[in-house]
This record gives sequence, C-alpha cells and structure tokens, in this order.
Amino acid sequence: MNVATVSVLEAEALSKHYPVSAGFLKPLATVQALEAVSFSLAAGRTLAVVGESGCGKSTLARQVTMLETPTSGRLRLAGDDIADADAAKRKALRRTVQMVFQNPFASLNPRKKIGQALEEPLAINTTLAAADRADRARAMLARVGLRPEHYARYPHMFSGGQRQRVAIARALMLEPKVVVADEPVSALDVSIQAQVLNLLMDLQQETGVAYVFISHNLAVVELIADEVLVMYLGRVMERAPKTALFAAPRHPYTRALLASTPKVGAIRGEAALARAARTALSGELPSPLAPPSGCVFRTRCPHAIPACAEAVPPLVPVGTGHEAACIRLDQI
Amino acid sequence: MSGTLPAALPSRRAGGAGPCGSVLWACSVVTSLLQVEHLSVEFGAPGAALQAVDDVSFSVSPGEVVGIVGESGSGKSVTALAVLGLIDAPGRVRAERLAFDGRELPSMSPRERRSLLGGDIAMIFQDPMTSLNPSYSVAFQLMETIALHEGGSRAARRARALELLRAVEIPDAERRLDAFPHQLSGGMSQRVMLAMAIACNPRLLIADEPTTALDVTIQAQMLALLLKLQRERGMALVLITHDLGVVAEVAERVIVMYAGQVVEQAPVPRIFELPSHPYTEALLAALPERNAGRRRLQSLGGVVPGAFDRPAGCLLSPRCPYAQERCRAERPALFELEASRARCFFPLPSHADVDRRP
Repeated sequence: MNVATVSVLEAEALSKHYPVSAGFLKPLATVQALEAVSFSLAAGRTLAVVGESGCGKSTLARQVTMLETPTSGRLRLAGDDIADADAAKRKALRRTVQMVFQNPFASLNPRKKIGQALEEPLAINTTLAAADRADRARAMLARVGLRPEHYARYPHMFSGGQRQRVAIARALMLEPKVVVADEPVSALDVSIQAQVLNLLMDLQQETGVAYVFISHNLAVVELIADEVLVMYLGRVMERAPKTALFAAPRHPYTRALLASTPKVGAIRGEAALARAARTALSGELPSPLAPPSGCVFRTRCPHAIPACAEAVPPLVPVGTGHEAACIRLDQI
Repeated sequence: MSGTLPAALPSRRAGGAGPCGSVLWACSVVTSLLQVEHLSVEFGAPGAALQAVDDVSFSVSPGEVVGIVGESGSGKSVTALAVLGLIDAPGRVRAERLAFDGRELPSMSPRERRSLLGGDIAMIFQDPMTSLNPSYSVAFQLMETIALHEGGSRAARRARALELLRAVEIPDAERRLDAFPHQLSGGMSQRVMLAMAIACNPRLLIADEPTTALDVTIQAQMLALLLKLQRERGMALVLITHDLGVVAEVAERVIVMYAGQVVEQAPVPRIFELPSHPYTEALLAALPERNAGRRRLQSLGGVVPGAFDRPAGCLLSPRCPYAQERCRAERPALFELEASRARCFFPLPSHADVDRRP
C-alpha cells in the first residue's frame, strides 16, 4: 500500500482451518474458513470486508481480535507479530484491538450499569483510581452522544441505537488503534443506522482509530470504507480502493453483489426482472466442507470455463492497490 | 383470476357513505380485493394501552403490488396479522371495515375464515427457518396444505407438491420432497414456504419481510421469483419490508408507516422522487446511497415514540425539522394530495412556500 502511512494492522496469507466432525467413527474433516488472506490497514483508515454469510468475515474478525490463533500466516499489530509475542506481550497487544458486535441487545451485560460496562476495560487494563475511571466513562458517554445521567442506567432502558453507542464507547475506552466492527448497523433501522454511521465517522476523525468494518450492505460500505475486501468462501475475490471497486468492479462475484443490491431510484418492474435474469447468480453457496476445486466461485459464476476448475486463481494486480482473483479478467 | 361480482359488492355496505368514501385510496370499492378502513390494534391494559396500529386505512386491488414500509415498531406486521385475524387476546382489533373480496372478515365464522386463509389469502413470514415444522418432511407439510384446501388422493397430492417445488425453482425438486427443514438452506426454506403459500392459488399474498434473513444474491433470486409468480398468477402482493430499495424495485404503490400510523401513500416512483411527508423525506435522506460524495449522512434526531411518550400532536413532531405550533397541538389526518396522501399539515414540497402556511 501507501509507504508513507504506517500500517497498524497487517495480515499476510492469514488462514484459519477448523476441524469438524464428519460423522461417527469418521476422520475429522476440515473447513477452510479463511484461506490466505492478506491486507494492510493504516491508522485513521477503514477497511471494509464484504461478503455473504459463510464467506469468512467473522472468522477474520476473530483472528484480528486475537480471540483465536490463526492456523498459518502472519498478523502484525502496530508492527509486532502476534505469533512471536509471549503472554505478557499478547495481553498488551489485545488492548490495541477492540470489537463492536452486531447485536447490541446481546453484547451488553444486562446486570451491569452502563458506567460499570464502560469502566471494566479500565479496571482490568489500567491502574487508574475508581474516580478517574468514572470521569473517563462520563467523558466517553458525552463523546458518543449520550447524556451523563445514562451512566447509572441499565442496558434494558436503552433503544437499539443507544445501545450500539454504548458498545462503541466501550470499544474506545482503552484508546485502541484498531476497532473491528462486525455488522455494527445491520440490526438498526435506517434512520438510526445513519446516526450511528455518522458517529463512527466522527470518532475516526477525532481519534485516528482504524476500522475493520464487516458488512454485507454495499451502500453502507460505499459510504464508510477507504478500501474494500470482497470475500467468498474464505478467500479474497477482489481487493480495491473504494472508488475503484464501485466504479469498475473486476471480479464476477463483486459485479453480481453490486447488481443484486436493491436500490432506490434503480430500474423496476419488467426491467428489474430482466436485469435479475441477466445478472442474478444461480444456485447457492457450496458446502465449505467440500469447496469446488480451482476457483471456489466457479459453480455460480456466469463466466466459468473448464480451466477455472484446474487451479486456484491468484490475486493479480489490475490497478493501483486493486487486485482480483480471476483467470478471465481480460475476457469479461 | 378474480371472482369478484362487482354488482353485488356495494349493497353489502350498510347505507351511509357511498363507495367513494373520502378515506379510500381511490374510488375503488368495486375493484378492490382487500379493503381496510380505520383499523386499530391495541395491546395492554385499557388505561395504558400501546397503540400498535392507529387508524390505518388502505386497499389493495387484484393483481397489484403494494409495499408497506416502516421501521421496527411501526405496526406493519401487526397490520398484516390483524387483517388475517391472527391477533390473539389480550390484543384488541377494531376496524370499520376489514373486507376481502367484499366479505367482512371479522364477522365470518371460524370455519369460513379457515377456508379463506391459506386458500385465497396466503402469508409468508420473515424467518423461514422457524416457519417450517422441523419434525416433518417438505412433502408432508406441502401435502397437508393441499389436503386441507383441495383434497385429492395421496399420489395426486404428492404430484402437486412436486409441481409446486418446481414452480418455486427448487433445483433437484424430486430429491428435496423428502428432505427435512434442517437439510435446507435459508433461501431454500423460503422457497418451500412460498410453495406452500401459492399451493391453493391465492388471490392475495402477504409477504412479511420475505428476504430480510437472506443474503443479497439469494434475495435477488427470491424477489425475481416473487414477482414472476405474482405476474403469472395475477395475485395481489402485499410486501412488508423495512428496505426501501426492495420496495422501489418491486412495488407499484407504497404505504409508509410510522409509530402505528400510515403517514404517506403514493405510487412508485413518485414517492421516491417527490415525497410529501417529512418522514418519508428523512428516510430517503438517511439512505447511504443517497449521500454519495457527502461525508455525513443526514439523519433525524431522536427515536420513534413508545407507549408512554406518544406526543399530543403529530407523532413525528418532536423529530420533524419542519414542525410548527399546530403540529405539536393537533393530530393531522391523512390528507388527500394531488397524487398521494400524507398525514401532515404542511406536506412537502410546499414547506419552502412560507406564505401558504396558515
């Protein structure tokens, strides 16, 4: 990427395989949930990870937040390789990556007041006195657009949008370098979604935090991302700066995703039906236990040819910071 | 497709207002398939009731695609459930008129109603995984519906079930007949639900968030299939959704709901080009795709009023950027406008026109 900016998060051929039971007395099968994913993310930037369910978005989030150890590949946080780090170092590194989850109704402890929830990361990771922790929690409440009296309230007293604000506040308490947001607005209504997206963008400007923004909603991604990673069945199909991806998508899967997203002001009725027939992907996601040989997308790809089954297509550069994994890029 | 007997219809109404009563969308009594007038649904104790649906009126013509849009808690699903008579006590349903094909639904005997539901009126729900019974095969559940409404021998019902699975474009339909719900993906389960819904050639299909739980590429397949079946069979389709993009591509007319009330009704694409109600305008302005190139999204402050903080005046008044004194004091009715209806004293775009304000 850009050499002038320091990358706070770097993944190199990151893979995660899960062993799963294939049945009684049968050997364990392997799901390749994440296969050779590479990217780098600079401070103050947003990397969006896009794909449908089962594409490995959330597995990626679990590796980046160090909740799981990758099967292979390298992950560097602020220049430190987590594979080489000892326990103390890992603990220190964990502070630098925080997470915001999809469902704000499940991610807050119903028995803890908002203030306690915000102070807990400080109590665990810092030596601040109780009064200082409370001050910081109150200051953070104000920054995410909540009122001081919310400090002593319980999660059930808040709406979904307010809870997501609390979850964002909690993630920012330790001043992390990276926040991984896993579908942070998909449980919210349109008007509330806009408020939360505005908040995320404002906080990024103030603090210079980098976001890994996981989403299936391309309209949201187009607004918030700097760079986009399109994934399918654990592999990267296309990686591109936002403007290049939306102006000129190269991979057939990216094109299908863009064409499938319903938009206000788009064509409708007969024209929409005709378009759907032309661009819609047939079939469904293949089983991750038995992914297709070669290109994993070939079973649903409208441009697939026999050669697609032979080898896994490498990511080839097609522009500045833009790469796609398809052997027919010149022909389609 | 439509078995309406136009001449017989108006006589069912007990005198009073003619068929062109002001609450109707258009002078459409004769042709409308579903007619809802002044529908209200309340939950909770009579003194402190939650008004889930508040004075909702609309009608659906045969073969028409109507979208009902709103955020969570706006009453769109409860409206559909009330139409089907699926609101149980302690919920209270009141309506001046709730008629399907000229027949009043609330006054029907349970037996008549049962033959209508699943027959002429069908519904599919948001979560296909929980709508199918996990203990029975796809064939059993499809054949059960067919047995109830059409009857026929076992072999005939099985053949019909297979035909239905093919109609909803399930690949390898013969094998899927004996599959159990847990062996199907989300998209596949929703197709089975749709097969069950169209089993008896309904004239009205109500689809409550049919694609919300599905991935975008599967959602596109499902919407195309819904529209194709709607056209082939001439069904009326009521599509309930929170996704304005889905409505824009599929519906002919849109009903926007907010806090239990209809705030706007207008044809597509007018509603997306010239919204009359400030809430519709705000919903559209909050869409990320409408904010291309801008760094911030426009958003309405505040939240939807709940059971205990319903304002005295217009329900949107605490959040509305255009609210005036009158909006805070008085509840607006659903006013007839040029090409739409809006529940607003100062409908857009005349907001800019200060002189017209009273």
